[in-house]
Amino acid sequence: MDDFNFVRASSVADASKRAAAATEAKYLAGGQTLLPVMKQRLASPSDLISLSRIPELSAISCDDDKIVIGATARHADVAAHPGINALLPALAVLAGGIGDPHVRNRGTIGGSLANNDPAADYPAAALGLGATIETDKRHIAADDYFQGLFSTALDAGELITRVVFPIPRRAGYIKFPHAASRYALVGVMVSQSATGVRVAVTGAGAGVFRVPAMEMALARSFSAASIEASTVPPTDLTSDIHGSAEYRAHLITIMARRAVARALGESLS
Amino acid sequence: MNAVARFGKSQVRVEDQRFLTGLGRYIDDVNVANQFHAAFVRSPHAHAQVRSLDTQAASAAPGVQLIVTGVEWHAQCFGPLPCRSPSRVNRDGTPFKEPARQCLANDIVRYVGEPVAMVVATTADQARAAADLVVVDYYALPSVTDRAAALEPDATQLWPGIPNNLCLDFEAGNRKAVEAAVASAAHIVRLDVANNRLTAVPMEPRGVIAGYDRATGVYTLLNSSQNIHANRDLMAQMLKIAPEKLHHVAPDIGGGFGAKNSVYPEPLVLLYAAGKLGRSVKWVADRTEAFLTDTHGRDQQSAVALALDAEGKFLALHVDTIGNVGAACGTMGPFTPTGGTARTQGGPYFIPAILYTAKAVFTNTVQTDPYRGAGRPEAVFHIERIIEFAARKLGFDRIELRRKNLIQPSQLPYTSPTGLAIDSGNFPAVMQRVLDMADRDGFPARATISRAKGLRRGFAVTPYLECSGGAPQEEASVSFSADGIVILSVGTHSTGMGHETALAQILSDRLGIGIARVKFRQGDTDATKIGGGHGGSRGIEIGGSATLNVADMVIDKARAIAAHLLNSRSDDITFANGTLTDIKTGQTVTIDTVIEAAGDSSRLPANLSKGALDSTANFEREAITVPNGAHACEVEVDPETGVVRVVGFWAVDDFGSVINPMLADGQVMGGIAQGLGQALLEEIVYDRDSGQPVTASLLDYALPRADHMPRMEIAFYEGAPTKRNPLGAKGAGEAGCCGASPVIVNAVLDALNEYGVQHIDMPLTPEKVWRAINGSTGR
Repeated sequence: MDDFNFVRASSVADASKRAAAATEAKYLAGGQTLLPVMKQRLASPSDLISLSRIPELSAISCDDDKIVIGATARHADVAAHPGINALLPALAVLAGGIGDPHVRNRGTIGGSLANNDPAADYPAAALGLGATIETDKRHIAADDYFQGLFSTALDAGELITRVVFPIPRRAGYIKFPHAASRYALVGVMVSQSATGVRVAVTGAGAGVFRVPAMEMALARSFSAASIEASTVPPTDLTSDIHGSAEYRAHLITIMARRAVARALGESLS
Repeated sequence: MNAVARFGKSQVRVEDQRFLTGLGRYIDDVNVANQFHAAFVRSPHAHAQVRSLDTQAASAAPGVQLIVTGVEWHAQCFGPLPCRSPSRVNRDGTPFKEPARQCLANDIVRYVGEPVAMVVATTADQARAAADLVVVDYYALPSVTDRAAALEPDATQLWPGIPNNLCLDFEAGNRKAVEAAVASAAHIVRLDVANNRLTAVPMEPRGVIAGYDRATGVYTLLNSSQNIHANRDLMAQMLKIAPEKLHHVAPDIGGGFGAKNSVYPEPLVLLYAAGKLGRSVKWVADRTEAFLTDTHGRDQQSAVALALDAEGKFLALHVDTIGNVGAACGTMGPFTPTGGTARTQGGPYFIPAILYTAKAVFTNTVQTDPYRGAGRPEAVFHIERIIEFAARKLGFDRIELRRKNLIQPSQLPYTSPTGLAIDSGNFPAVMQRVLDMADRDGFPARATISRAKGLRRGFAVTPYLECSGGAPQEEASVSFSADGIVILSVGTHSTGMGHETALAQILSDRLGIGIARVKFRQGDTDATKIGGGHGGSRGIEIGGSATLNVADMVIDKARAIAAHLLNSRSDDITFANGTLTDIKTGQTVTIDTVIEAAGDSSRLPANLSKGALDSTANFEREAITVPNGAHACEVEVDPETGVVRVVGFWAVDDFGSVINPMLADGQVMGGIAQGLGQALLEEIVYDRDSGQPVTASLLDYALPRADHMPRMEIAFYEGAPTKRNPLGAKGAGEAGCCGASPVIVNAVLDALNEYGVQHIDMPLTPEKVWRAINGSTGR
């Protein structure tokens, strides 16, 4: 790891001011991606700006129609939150299945969304549940936020502050874990709400994406059977030693079906 | 404190308090005064010519003390890294090919990760940063990483004078008998199988601290090695110094599984630097370096042919293997795929004719060397897969086919056609017991329940037989200190498996003293004159027997001292449960009184002096032992995804006499986990075109985790102890992974029977299983 300056920001405004003043700043939330990358010297920021001393950034609140999660809320906090478990259990299940206990006790939702790893779980939650990503500058709809492999709509220095999830009528998430990393080889979030059905897939391609054909089929009839024959062509999917594009395409249908079953509260084998 | 540990009773591991509370002392925990740190410059190419190496920028970097390059290393004319393969002769009688492998390459690099230079700096970060500034001009050459491709006529040649990359062309067994049997057999079944390339991934990566004392000329090497004494001798020879000038010490070792047996280049280059600088130098591998440079295991493919008569009696077995030895010979070189896999061919079955042929080949990969089992798991895999395949193909009941061909107790002792002398065991009883434990008869009902959940259930049972190995001789010594502590020093090596408890237990039981009084020493060339380290499941068998012998030596001396104290004769003194008794007078004296007296010359007979009880004993085996057993398992397969879950596992193991059943359970469980890893998850993959390793981190190399593991029911068959050592013990360390891989694969194929799937190569990943179900292979 190369040397860097380390500061703890006292507020969101302080954080962005310090970021603007530095040569190459990185915000440090849970550090579960950034620190390993720095240890391998694949990233060498001049300044690390810790967000750990901004209490309002980690708050979680729920009301009748939405859940608001602060950017530095830990995965473990989301997984254990009583309100989230009551109102949107699919989100709690998703958070509780990220990485391992160490990662869940350090990693944050803002960090995961800012990094936008193509196999991370939270992008599927944000896109599949139609979340809004709030930053120190603006509100970004999930549909506009994710822009492919490790890319997002965030400008340089822009800081995620909160993520707002509307509460759907029902939702379900299923992950087929990568054998080694336990990231998603394929993960599917399915939700049904007043605004429609969403099916978001992570792990299978260069970034999280929606599956319009499945959404339309589910809008007609929200049942596992209605997407039995719906497939995503393997053409643009990832192919590597852990899963060919063809296998990932196959898993998308299976996982989507199981996510629907879970959303409907059906038991899974 | 005073609880006496007994043979055959589970005894909680005394070392765990230390290990589980962060008080273990591994290389990375050790720092010595004024140490420098080293980092290695490694080849990013699978095969390349090193045209030049520029250290100018690195030399000027902050903190840099020394840079050792391949050119400098070669100029010292140190010996090459040694190959001690017991298999060294080709089938035509000519010697095998052993290329001179240097610690630092200076002309050609032959695998990704091969070291070309070492940088020593004040801090580890400085050393790493400076190593990145060493500029190496490589001219990339075509590479070959696949074992079969390396033998192709147009394959890249790795070494001059070694045609076809062929290291050793091996043959064992009886070719004529096999050919005759095959010619007349009613049935011949053939199956190609592969044993996937694995890496050990010990929790603690390799690490070294090398020091040099200019006043005495003695080098001290703290090294995460399982093989302190033998490697001391080999390294001293390479460095052209007397063995006594190299003090080799291993502190706590966090797992080895074979990957810490070999002589590696790094300690040698660090020793050289320490000598040159007069300062200690430390290096600890990071996880990537461990993946790139730890010796790998398995990596064999075999054509298996079994000849049977019309009734299913086995007539002959021929296994023809290609084994990947890597870019050059590791310390055991071509042994594992040749002699190591030959010995136990045929397993516990009576097969009158066996032929094992193998080609060990060089490829642009890191060296392979023994990994838990080192050839025996491969051999079990050969016979158990071909039997399962034959039963299905020819319509025999697979359990009855096995039962019919097992060697019967009345046939023992028995020497197999590849030379394994089997002395003891009851293979039919062991298999029946595991079938009973597994409730074989209840399987159809369980399969129905699985099917109702959309899953397919499969069952398999595989008897297995392996053999112990490693250095044949061991030393144990005890010394008694005034505070009642007994120091037990042995030359075996625990890398976490519990010798500190098990060997102390033997001493405690024999002498009748509390186990907590035994202080354990290992892994130090100053502590014992000889030492065979760790390997071949030899810890209890050889180290335990040496410990037993030294305990008996102490008891003999104690009787002499007791006779003196009781005014009696040694011959009249008996010893039991810590008490020495004069059988004529009934007078007694405790072992503790004798120990006290031994520290006071006024209480000793004239021919004994203070410290009289301190003793050293050796044990040398007459022959290796033959651990065996039978494993059974049930799996559930999800035909939609291809996911396999092992839902039940039962093992009956014959380790002869078991000293500490809890530790033996742990050995079996760990072995099963590694066998499950091989069967379902683990594989080192090199890119065929570039020769780059693509599984060089835990993000890509899949290890078994707690939730992969089923509940394991383990029992020991103790009805056939061996007479080959005084304990009656047969090595337990490698049995688990011998049985687990074939039994899991056979159970999966049983589950897939309705789909007509004949074979899937390990690891049985979800995609491979899914493709097999859907009638396509590979991708």
